[in-house]
Amino acid sequence: MDRDLLRQSLSYHGESLLSLMTCEQNENPDFTAIASDLAKGVCERKVADANSSTIVEQFISRKADLLFAPLWKTAEPVEHQWQEESCEPYAIMPPLEQFMDVPFEERRDIFFRDVERGDVIIGRINSIRDFGFFITLICTYGEIERDIEDLELTALCPIRDVPSNGNHDDPLSYYQVGDLIRAGLKDVDRYHGKLTISLHPSSVTSSLSSLKLGVTSREDLPIHYCRGDRVVRDSSETYERVLESTLGFSNPSNVDVLLAKLGVSETQCCSMMRGLQSKHFQEEDFAANIRKTQSASWALKCVKAGVDHFKSGRHVEAMNEYNKALEIDTNNVEALVARGALYATKGSLVKAISDFEIALESSPTHRNAKKYLCQTLVERGGQLEEEEKLVSAEGLYKKALALDEHFQDANEAFKKLQMRIQKSLKLKEEEAAAKELEKNKDVETSAEKLRKILKEEKRMKRKRKRSSSSSSTSSSSSSSSSSSSSSARRKSKKKKQKRRRSSHSEKKRHRRTSSSRRGRLSDEEGREKEGDDDDEEEWYPAPANTTSSFMNLKHPVSGIFEDDFPQAKAKRSLSLGSSSTVDVLDDSRGRFEDDPFESGPTEPAKVREPRRDRPSGSKSKDGDLNGREQGPSGDHGRPEAGPSSRRDPARSGPEGPGHRKYSSSSAASSEYARKSDRQSREFPAPVHVDVLCRHDRSEKSEKRERMRSEDNGQEDLSQNGRRSSEGGPKKDLPSNLQSIFSQIAQFEKEKSVKHKK
Amino acid sequence: MEVARTSQDRSQAADAAKGGVSQEIKTHFRVCRFIIETGVKLGMRSMPVSTACALYHKFFKTASLEVYEPYLVAMSSIYLAGKVEEQHLRTRDIINVCHRFFRPGTEPMELDGKFWELRDSVVQCELLILRQLNFQVAFEHPHKYLLHYLVSVRNLVNRHAWARAPIAETAWALLKDCYHGSICVRHPPQHLALAVLYLAVQSYGLEMPSGELEWWQALCDDISGKEIEDIMSELLKLYDMEAKCM
Repeated sequence: MDRDLLRQSLSYHGESLLSLMTCEQNENPDFTAIASDLAKGVCERKVADANSSTIVEQFISRKADLLFAPLWKTAEPVEHQWQEESCEPYAIMPPLEQFMDVPFEERRDIFFRDVERGDVIIGRINSIRDFGFFITLICTYGEIERDIEDLELTALCPIRDVPSNGNHDDPLSYYQVGDLIRAGLKDVDRYHGKLTISLHPSSVTSSLSSLKLGVTSREDLPIHYCRGDRVVRDSSETYERVLESTLGFSNPSNVDVLLAKLGVSETQCCSMMRGLQSKHFQEEDFAANIRKTQSASWALKCVKAGVDHFKSGRHVEAMNEYNKALEIDTNNVEALVARGALYATKGSLVKAISDFEIALESSPTHRNAKKYLCQTLVERGGQLEEEEKLVSAEGLYKKALALDEHFQDANEAFKKLQMRIQKSLKLKEEEAAAKELEKNKDVETSAEKLRKILKEEKRMKRKRKRSSSSSSTSSSSSSSSSSSSSSARRKSKKKKQKRRRSSHSEKKRHRRTSSSRRGRLSDEEGREKEGDDDDEEEWYPAPANTTSSFMNLKHPVSGIFEDDFPQAKAKRSLSLGSSSTVDVLDDSRGRFEDDPFESGPTEPAKVREPRRDRPSGSKSKDGDLNGREQGPSGDHGRPEAGPSSRRDPARSGPEGPGHRKYSSSSAASSEYARKSDRQSREFPAPVHVDVLCRHDRSEKSEKRERMRSEDNGQEDLSQNGRRSSEGGPKKDLPSNLQSIFSQIAQFEKEKSVKHKK
Repeated sequence: MEVARTSQDRSQAADAAKGGVSQEIKTHFRVCRFIIETGVKLGMRSMPVSTACALYHKFFKTASLEVYEPYLVAMSSIYLAGKVEEQHLRTRDIINVCHRFFRPGTEPMELDGKFWELRDSVVQCELLILRQLNFQVAFEHPHKYLLHYLVSVRNLVNRHAWARAPIAETAWALLKDCYHGSICVRHPPQHLALAVLYLAVQSYGLEMPSGELEWWQALCDDISGKEIEDIMSELLKLYDMEAKCM
């Protein structure tokens, strides 16, 4: 209890309050401890207003523990800078004394009691002497507002407290009798009633220091004085009338302004009711907290629904649910983890990583978030490795290992990468020459390039005429070169089979052989890239078979799109492995004997198309479209075969980005199996092995295309420009695709022409 | 919420048998306490809470407790007061806080059909209140009078004495407590403001200069000492009621 305050109250109300209080507060240990001490100083009451005081005393005695609680004063009144109020946020009233008609003497006494040095006063100069000037006080300014004009108080401003203006020898010559002066109180002599003022800004308290001291005008007089002046002249004015006539009183925000001015806190609940003391309010009952928990549980519900969607393969719905959950409750950890997992499944590894990281930020011990982040980081690392961004890949592996140092995959990948980096350093010298060569190549002008292309094309065509079976040799060599990839071998076997069957069409076969060769090549490259980072060597090899190397190097656009198709075929057969679907494949091939190339692979593809499209995020319409396109192509046979096969790559093109995630660091089938196995473990829904593999392949070809087009961007452009004019039939396709198609068509035409010769 | 209320009603019936303050007043006291508590939990400023209480009291001045569910009216009053006083509240928050008031410690409501029904009833009841009050929902509260009085009185007393005694806080708290009962709508705002200020000044035994008029007479010329006394004793009764009701 605030003893001083209690004493003040007791001395005001006297004995009766003390006895009442002892009676009411006898259970309050705070009071009983000081009661005897308080009893000493209490004398008879000063006020005689017996009636109302009984009620007041009753109130005080009952609420004494609250009234005199030391922490009752909630907020410190803000020490705000005094500002000259041009506008009136609340009603500024004349001093209350004016309405009360307090006697002259009492007013004088309380003025001298309350006025302090540092206050600001306004007065009129009544005489100027050589040691300074005297002013008659008119009003106060700032902290206290008092009615002092009729008190006829005078104050001295000594000459040393008048700032010199420089121009005048005598600073006092600047002032005249009758001037209004605003000055700070420098000294108050309460006994003799003498005031000394100063015009130096340092004489006023800090809250008023921005005020300009010196001569002032009538308009600058404070509002309370002007209002008070009116009250003096018109005795019928009452406090209420003045109050209600002011603009500030009708300001709706005056309550807030005044609460701040008086230092009353609105945020803290203050009440004399015992049930409303702040200690009775629990944090978790507050609206914001309830909303938070409610939102969290709502969001969790959405996440659950999303996971159900995800498990049954409706990824779009699942994503919608997760996003909704995050909208309801931003940074909901479960939603973030689930969405991250979905992103990872969709191949948006970067988004997945960011989701997991945010989740871990708000809940650093979340097990799944940690686990998934590790796996995704390794995955992304593999991706970067493939993109030759070895340093960033290394960073990601390190990050993963920092999260979980026992994570096997990260360890392995990290070691592998380090080996690779070392190897690449070793190979650097050998590479230097190749790079030099490349540099020269880069400097070549586009015209030179074009010439070169044409020359090479010619050479290639010549070669093509000569050896149609070169592909088989190259394929066998390539498959043997690949270390232990049974999948590649199986694939190549199949292709050979197919080739044998489709021998009746020279043109067809030609196309296919070249494309299948390319497909194999690309696979091989992908595989070898893993073991050996020397990608340049892959791209610019000097093998005996110059044809294939030229095909790869100089016709990137047509090459890629052509090999996409056989590749997909290879993928399918690969993914199914030894399962019975291989037989289905063979069956269908048997059925469509007349056009084995087209219908063989497309038939099973139709069956599985929806599954393949779903994870890629593109709508299943894509699959339908393909089915529709491919259906007739099988029936109509060869005339349709060309365009339909060309459309195929166009379809897989846009799908590319979606598959990126599956570009693993290894192409070996065992790797796939392991990966998919892991995938199904780490994400709530199992991911089909074949889906994974397929994605991986198409991704690889996609990437290759990207890299090549970077290398040969110029070339492509020139080619496009040259050939797009010939691309007649596909008007509804985008122009870049059209040009690609026209290139393929042109290429095809040329080939067939050569053969007919 | 129905359940919680009926159980409360039963306990009220038991109280009524013992006699004392009328049942109706006690119910109103409880509901007002509910409004004020909810206001604190919703982070409402004093003005909207006061408006909500005033709406509630005005509504039951003419309506019967038999016909209308007071807690629903209270919830709608809070919602409406938020609009009137420009501190917009969300019904979801109001319902959440009220739900927890009646079932302390329980999980927040599911946002299902039941929630939306409750929300609908709150909004419907808001329209009912509006009609019942003839769309006159803006009140002149004593708050701004009190604050202006406080500034004037502060200038009258020594600044150190003022700083020592929490006059402003106490008066503000007393004024807010007035809204537990219907005194807040029965007395003119100036009188209420003056009475709580008087009680606060007297409680801390602050010396005031006196002239021809007492300070409180100067502030409000149409109030007598008797009226201040009446308001103070009514306020005191409210404090007594707390012990009886809660």
